[in-house]
Amino acid sequence: MSAELRVEHLRKVFSTGHPPVEKAAIDTVSFTVAAGEIVVLLGPSGCGKTTTLRCVAGLEHPTSGRIVIGGTAYTDPAAGVLVPPRSRNLGMVFQSYAVWPHMTVRQNVAYPLRARKTPRAEQGRAVQEALELVELAAYADRPVTQLSGGQMQRVALARAMVYHPQILLLDEPLSNLDAQLRLRLRDDLRRIIKRAGLTALYVTHDQTEAVVLGDRIGVMRDGKLLQLDTPREIYNRPADLFVAGFTGASNVIEGTVQGSQDGFAVVRARSGETLLARHGSGLHDGAAAKVALRPDNITFAPASGPNRFTARVASQHYQGTQTVYELAVLGTTIEALEVGSAARWDVGAEVTVGLPPELCWSYGA
Amino acid sequence: MDGQAASLHGVQTTSGRAGAPGRTQHPSWRWIWSGVLIAALAFLVIYPTAMLLLGALTTTNPVVEGVSVADVSLGNFLTVAGNPNVLIALANSMIACGGGTLLAVAIGLAFAWVVVRTNTPCKALIASAGMLPLFVPPLVAGVAWAILGSPRTGLINLVLAKIGIPWRFDLYSMPGMIFVFGIYYAPYVYMFTAAALRNMDPSLEEAAEISGASPTRTMATVTFPLILPAIISGMLLSFVVMLGIYGIPATLGTPANIPVLTTYIFALTAWSPPLYNTAAAVAVILMIVTGLLVYAQQRVLAGRSYTTVAGKAFRPRALNLGPWRFLTLGLAIVYLLVVVVLPSLALLIAAFRRFLFIRDIPSLFDMKQYGWQHFIKMFDNPLTVTSIINSMKVGLITALVGGVLAFAIGYTTTRTRAPLKRIIDVITTIPVAIPGLVIGVAYLWAWIGLPGGLYGTLWILALAFVARFIPDTVKALSTSLMQIHKELEEAAWICGRGMLGTVFSVVLPLARPGVVAAMTLLFILAIRELGSSLFLYSSGTMVMAVQLLGYYEGGNIGITAAFSLVQMVLLGVLIGFTNLLSRGAARGVVRSG
Repeated sequence: MSAELRVEHLRKVFSTGHPPVEKAAIDTVSFTVAAGEIVVLLGPSGCGKTTTLRCVAGLEHPTSGRIVIGGTAYTDPAAGVLVPPRSRNLGMVFQSYAVWPHMTVRQNVAYPLRARKTPRAEQGRAVQEALELVELAAYADRPVTQLSGGQMQRVALARAMVYHPQILLLDEPLSNLDAQLRLRLRDDLRRIIKRAGLTALYVTHDQTEAVVLGDRIGVMRDGKLLQLDTPREIYNRPADLFVAGFTGASNVIEGTVQGSQDGFAVVRARSGETLLARHGSGLHDGAAAKVALRPDNITFAPASGPNRFTARVASQHYQGTQTVYELAVLGTTIEALEVGSAARWDVGAEVTVGLPPELCWSYGA
Repeated sequence: MDGQAASLHGVQTTSGRAGAPGRTQHPSWRWIWSGVLIAALAFLVIYPTAMLLLGALTTTNPVVEGVSVADVSLGNFLTVAGNPNVLIALANSMIACGGGTLLAVAIGLAFAWVVVRTNTPCKALIASAGMLPLFVPPLVAGVAWAILGSPRTGLINLVLAKIGIPWRFDLYSMPGMIFVFGIYYAPYVYMFTAAALRNMDPSLEEAAEISGASPTRTMATVTFPLILPAIISGMLLSFVVMLGIYGIPATLGTPANIPVLTTYIFALTAWSPPLYNTAAAVAVILMIVTGLLVYAQQRVLAGRSYTTVAGKAFRPRALNLGPWRFLTLGLAIVYLLVVVVLPSLALLIAAFRRFLFIRDIPSLFDMKQYGWQHFIKMFDNPLTVTSIINSMKVGLITALVGGVLAFAIGYTTTRTRAPLKRIIDVITTIPVAIPGLVIGVAYLWAWIGLPGGLYGTLWILALAFVARFIPDTVKALSTSLMQIHKELEEAAWICGRGMLGTVFSVVLPLARPGVVAAMTLLFILAIRELGSSLFLYSSGTMVMAVQLLGYYEGGNIGITAAFSLVQMVLLGVLIGFTNLLSRGAARGVVRSG
């Protein structure tokens, strides 16, 4: 049942303000979600991820581009094709759950089947199956208003999956839940979607959610898709400074490119010291560069290896199971994180730190 | 006294200045304060209601024989209740208000949908113009439609005759009453349903669409069930309001001999000799029906309001109607034409035209036919000026007494730990279920038998109005009081101010926009109130609304229209003034009657 989703050159333009200024909410976005794959669109609010999802659902109409599901074009303004949401056979889970408060759990989940005029006996069986999948079978005859937020969201999930849609769309489904519940449901969600074998497009602004849930992650900003890759690639080879920063590489060291060595770029920092970093595309000798690095990839007191520098501990934030240090090094201040309950370095102490070259990424400034 | 109260007042007493009345070292102060409020409410609400009940259960004439409890018997009430005339009036009331409510729901719901859910042009303008009928006194609406739709001389019928259409409108009829009720009370239904539509999470409907439901199916299975409580609530409210209206049945029903409960009650007291006991009994019937409906409305509102989960503001989904949006715009314009433009034109023409007889269409535009003569004749009658001055006085007293009392009650129930708050709250809410006309009969019973008392003074009118409008006023004031953070007051206490000093130096200045708006609203409601005035005015205390009815019943349409215009202009200026002051602080609390 699950189908491949192809989004081709999708573009949506709004006119806002006085005088009207054209602004692209989605700026020529293309990607493919393979059948049975979960792709997460990740980005800050206003980056166009939800608008993209709603265009796939047919709830919003793009200015141009095509949306092809299972080989059939469902949205293609140039060809005058715009299939209404009800005829797309998609499932969708909304941020606000959108379970109907005047119905019971069973009535909510059976609704799409009744709209499809599914035979009654089959309805009962399918609803039961869907409720068992989300572990709510015992609640079938309760009014949904008596459920907790997490239970309501699972009703919404059962409702979206009960008719085996071609694609499952999820719009920040966990953002209205409290932190603990969010963690639990996050793991459940991936398991349930995978067990049903559904193709899923998932939108979130939370990068940990994206990493756990997605087979691949697409990072968006200002309507553009910056990088679409596996979580491992996104975290270890971010395509640009924004992707690096948004996924947690909060340290930026400025400098100038001064040739290369062992396949790495040599970058001279403000302090005059040089460090090795992955070569960013288009960085020629003499160009200004920014080197991004995750706080958790910094090693303390390494015995040997390249990129070792002497740093002074500027401050210490003890967090129990880990400690975050601010280090003065390379003419700037960077954050470093050491796991473990022992805070080994005191403020003012000098410590040797290692910045692994393959985890230092240089980009054009 | 509970511990919390003690600790709270501990802060206040140690820092409060000696002699400040809010000093509650002795709990007795608080009991005395609550006692004073309850006594005031008992005087305003409980005593008249009790006298009304007594009147309904006895047969002694309060004017001739004085009030007596000698022959109290449920039998007296049941005799009246079983009287066929009473049953006819009750049935007529039900048909007129029921029909009016259905029409109001149809119009209000359509209006709400057009304004909230479509891309009809000029929506905002349509929405605010659609609220105008709320401000038109029912008597003025009745007068205007009598001018437009009386079977022989109605302006619409004259025009129809001129262009050769044999069909005639007859507004002096049951359908006429239903029509005017329906178009004037549609805004009540609109207010409730528009709010429900606006606050509905759009993803509830999107979810249905994604699930495969067609737009009609979505509307029938999701949208409509979700706003049903709001529709029922608006329905019950408009029914209750219509039930207590005197002006529209008096202008349109009485000429056709169709009595409803309100006009029947007044007719009973205008009998010779006046049948005060029967009037009281019928008034009690009206009160019971109203009370039941208000109770039902509260239940609907409390039990089945579906609050949506997400706490964010929604932008309602606006349906793109394409070219059809001009049809919805056209329908909205037709409604505004019927409910605002036509009646205003009718009043203007009738007020300024020498004779209402219109020979042909060109003569309608013949300026020689127009002049100020009706206004001159109207002001030649000393009663006109007297009634205007009296109305202003009554309005002022109502605004001051009602404003101060409502502030005291609102502050006590929302901000203090005074004892018996619950009882104060309940008594304050009672008048919601009492139509204005019934309050009039109750006050008549309360004071007519007492020589040298309030009866025959302007004060009895003002106090009846205070009683009638106290629930709305307290509610509006409580809302603006609750917006003032408790800590602002506590800060003043810590700084050494007593409770009364804090009220004057902190609470009152901060709540001022709300207080001024509530008092202006009281003033407006008081000068347009007809139902209760009917039973309480005397020759020396004539008020505008009653005087207007007098002109109408006297048969002089020109003067009636002229006086209607004077009142509308006066109300318009006052309402504009209130809006300027309140900036939305206490809007939407107009109860009509």
